[in-house]
Amino acid sequence: MFGSASTRESLVESETRWAGFEAEAMPHAPSLFRIAMWLTRNQPDAEDLVQETLTEGLSSFHRFAHGTNCRAWLISIMYHRQSKKKRASSRLHLVSDAEEFISETVAFEPPTPQNVTDEEVLHALEHLPRAFQEVVILADVEELSYKEIAAALDVPVGTVMSRISRGRKLLRAELATYAQAHGFGRAG
Amino acid sequence: MQCQEFREIADSYLGNELIVETNHAIISHLEYCAECRRELAARRELRTRLRQAFINATENQMRPEFAERLNTQLHTRTLGKRPNRVATVGTPRSSIRLGRKSWLAIAACLLLGMTFVMIVVRQKASFISREATTTELAKSAVTDHRDCAVRFRLAEKPIDLEAAGRKYDPVYINLTKAVLTEQGGALSDAEFVEAHSCVLEGRRFGHLVFKYHGRLVSFLVTDTGGPNIINGADSPALARLEVTPCSQLEGYQVSCFQTVRHAVFVVSDLSESENLALARALAPSVYAHITGIERAV
Repeated sequence: MFGSASTRESLVESETRWAGFEAEAMPHAPSLFRIAMWLTRNQPDAEDLVQETLTEGLSSFHRFAHGTNCRAWLISIMYHRQSKKKRASSRLHLVSDAEEFISETVAFEPPTPQNVTDEEVLHALEHLPRAFQEVVILADVEELSYKEIAAALDVPVGTVMSRISRGRKLLRAELATYAQAHGFGRAG
Repeated sequence: MQCQEFREIADSYLGNELIVETNHAIISHLEYCAECRRELAARRELRTRLRQAFINATENQMRPEFAERLNTQLHTRTLGKRPNRVATVGTPRSSIRLGRKSWLAIAACLLLGMTFVMIVVRQKASFISREATTTELAKSAVTDHRDCAVRFRLAEKPIDLEAAGRKYDPVYINLTKAVLTEQGGALSDAEFVEAHSCVLEGRRFGHLVFKYHGRLVSFLVTDTGGPNIINGADSPALARLEVTPCSQLEGYQVSCFQTVRHAVFVVSDLSESENLALARALAPSVYAHITGIERAV
C-alpha cells in the first residue's frame, strides 16, 4: 500500500545486509590492509585498495557462501582488483626463470634457526623473490589453505604448494645465512 | 618415514594440510626422532614469529581514522541504496485530492512504519552493544594474558583460584581439573604453570596459565552477569557450546565460548587455527563443569 511495505522491506534488507557484512567481513579489514600494503608498498594506495575491495565485497555479499572463509573470499576480491590494475606489468603471478632458479639452488637445508627477532624474520622475508613472499604471507601469516591461495592468485594448487615449499625453504636458508653472518639465533 | 621425508612435509603438517594417514606417519616418526622434534618446534616457532612480526609491523597497521571512515562510508553506501523513506502518494497534485479515509490510511502506515523502524534500530543497537561487549571482554582477556601471564605485571595481587571460587564464583573451584585433566587426554603436551583469580578493569577473571607446544596460554573465565553475550542469542535456553575465534589483538589470538552466565576465553600467540583447535579441545569438559554449577546455584 502506497509503497510503504516495500520501503520497510528495503530498509530491513539493507540493515540486515549491513549487519551481516559488518559482523562477518569488517573484522578482516586490518588483515586486508596488511596484504594491500604488501601489494602496493604505500599507504594511500593500500587504503584505496582496501576500500575498493570492501565496497565490491559489500555489493556482492549475497554471493558469499556463509560458513566458508570470509577473509579468503575478500583476499580473492582484492587480488582480482589488483591484478586488473597491474595486468600490464604482470608482476603478480609470474615467477621469473631467475627466481625459479634461485629457489632450486637451495639444495642443502640447514636446521631452522631459533630465537630470531621480528626484525630478522622480516628482513629475511624481504630478501625472498616476491612470488615466494606472497604465498608464504598468505599461508603462514593469513593462514589461508593451499586451495584458498590458489583461488586468490588464480593459479593451480600444485603451483601454490611448490611455491610455498620453496618459499619456506628459502626463508629458513636466508635466516640461517643471516644468523651465521651476524651471530644471532641458535641452530636447532 | 625418514628424516628427509619428514622435513619435506613438516610445514604442511604444521598447516594441517596433510591427510590423516600421513599425519599418523609423522607422529610415529616424531616419537623416536628427537632431531625432527627439535626441527618441528623450530619451524613452529619461526612461523609464529613471522606471523607476529608481519602483523605487528608498524607500516602494516591500519590508521584508526581510515578504519572509521571506511566503516561510515560502507554503512552509508548500504543505506543510501534504500528507497526514499517518505511514502510516495502519487503526484503532489493527486495527494491534495485524497479523501479522509486515505489520510487515515497514510497515518496508520506511517505509524506502523515508524514502529517498525524503531524495532529495527533497537535490534541493531542491541546487536552493536553485544558486539562491543564481546570485543571489550576479548580485549580485557588479551590484556590479562599479556600482563598477568606473560609479563606478570599486575596492579592488584592475584588470589588463589580455589579461594576465589569459595569467595566470588563457584565455577573457579576445580576449574584447573576441568581444563587440564578432564579433557580426555587431548592435550598431552600441556604443562600447568599456575592458576589464580585477578581483577582487570573492574572485572574478575578466573585465570589459568599453562604451556602448550612451548607457548604460554591463558584460559580465562568471567561472570557476564547475563545470558549469551557472545553469539547474540537472546534467551538463556538458547545457550549452546559453540567455540569461535572471537578476536585477534596485539598479535594474540582469542577464541571464545559461553555458557548462560559465563564467557570463556583462550588466549595465546599460537596461530589462529591452533588456538581455536586448543579451545575446542578444552571446551567440552569446561562447558560441562560450568553449566553443572550454574544449574545447581
